[in-house]
Amino acid sequence: MGMLLRECKIEVIRIFRNPYFIFWSLLMPIIFYVIFTKVVNTGMENQALWNAIFLMSIAAFSVMGSAIMTLGIRMVQEKSEGWTTLLRVTPLPASSYFIAKMIGQSAVHVFSIIIIFFAGFLINGVTMPFGEWLLCGLWILLGSAPFLAMGLLVGTMKKVDTASGVSNIFYLLLAITGGLWMPMEILPKLIQTIGMWLPAFHYGNGAWAIVQGESPELKNVLILGMYLILFMILSIYIRRKQEVV
Amino acid sequence: MQPVVQIENLTKEFKGKRAVDDVSFTVQRGEIVAILGPNGAGKSTTMLMMLGLLKPTAGIAKLFQEEPQSRAVHERIGVMLQQVSLMDALKVKELLALFQAYYPKPLSLETLVKLTGMTNGELDKRTEKLSGGQKRRVGFALALAGDPDLLFFDEPTVGMDSTARKQFWLTVKELAEQGKTILFSTHYLQEADDIATRIILFNEGKVIADGSPIEIKRNLLRQSISFKLNETIEKAYLMNMKDVLAVVEDKGRLKLMTENPDSVLRKLFELDLRLEDIAIEKGRLEDAFEQLTVEQEVS
Repeated sequence: MGMLLRECKIEVIRIFRNPYFIFWSLLMPIIFYVIFTKVVNTGMENQALWNAIFLMSIAAFSVMGSAIMTLGIRMVQEKSEGWTTLLRVTPLPASSYFIAKMIGQSAVHVFSIIIIFFAGFLINGVTMPFGEWLLCGLWILLGSAPFLAMGLLVGTMKKVDTASGVSNIFYLLLAITGGLWMPMEILPKLIQTIGMWLPAFHYGNGAWAIVQGESPELKNVLILGMYLILFMILSIYIRRKQEVV
Repeated sequence: MQPVVQIENLTKEFKGKRAVDDVSFTVQRGEIVAILGPNGAGKSTTMLMMLGLLKPTAGIAKLFQEEPQSRAVHERIGVMLQQVSLMDALKVKELLALFQAYYPKPLSLETLVKLTGMTNGELDKRTEKLSGGQKRRVGFALALAGDPDLLFFDEPTVGMDSTARKQFWLTVKELAEQGKTILFSTHYLQEADDIATRIILFNEGKVIADGSPIEIKRNLLRQSISFKLNETIEKAYLMNMKDVLAVVEDKGRLKLMTENPDSVLRKLFELDLRLEDIAIEKGRLEDAFEQLTVEQEVS
């Protein structure tokens, strides 16, 4: 247990020391937030509600990205540089490596969520009952599980370049089709239909519901859970196949 | 005594090509074994199979009479692989502390610093800011972190300057004196000769010689002079000639084994014997040896 805890701590330290993380996971989403709530006139009837909803979109966007990319690309990098091989001859159990990566990443997500929520408060004076803040934060944190699993899947790739290219494309496509950049309603019908079956929309939708005083739909939980299982099985299957050499 | 390393009929095929071909040997506690051979001789592949990182096509590899993948084995071994970059965004001392925590009885930081010759300045540096040689040294410290009984080094001195090399081998000798068993691969004959108590010579996936450096060198240098002789001569007489190690009779030819064919030839001519069809053959290890020396000149 002590070993795992130390491993998590190390992962957290390493993520924070990575300047790309700060830029892509914190700065970019906040800049986005300013642009779409302050600069561009979105013509929303209820500006205060839009500010809160879009804050959730942007927090989900940030966490989703760091789950897929930071986790996945880092794993590919460690594998291609031989570090993972060296770990295999140490007493560190292989599972600890993966678990520590996911827990460490989640700990960093807590930090990202707090910063982004706070930015929303400072920039647009977004307020809501403490319970709702907390629920939103928890939803975004726990709902990121399928994206962490997707990160593990990206982590099975052989080259850093491929991994970062592929994960970037998937990340942006998911974010757009999931309504994290602009509301689902203004997207073309076809994309809406496809987006309804992808995980990003359901991830955002849970938090949007909480902001409006409702609770996430069962469908949101089910679809996220389904993708979690799918990505886990895929990444375990691929990893098994790769190990037998 | 139970062997520390036990390898039986180990074979590895890659796409039908045999990289390691039916290799067997055992290593006892306290030995410093050099796995010597030219590039592509199967040294690394053998080492990876010993460590359980590569699955053998056939044969077994055991460490401390156990499967190399077991945790009990992992707690007793230290490994330095070829071309491993270190985990980035960490200071050297943080990385060392992390590794120390993996083992039940780790060496202290002071001991690690003393053994590897790292400086305090290096300990506070981030791993990505280290030079190639410094990285190797940290890799060495990581291998020693758990106070292992058995150490594996795959081409350890590649990328080290001469001072670092010297320090490295000095420490290795010290570790061996403490009763640790050491296995390293190299393509430098000189290194194997200076450090190892035993050399296992690989060529084209096979073990072609296994013995102390003195025995190996004697084998490498041994040559033979063979000829047909149209008169009878006492074998004992040839045997007693200076520089002749052995005399063999084979299909009507006499074969003299020697480390100094020039002087033996001169003697034979002085005797005015009716020699015919003279041939000088190099030892069977010579091919491997030549490849080794060529590579040394290049690097």
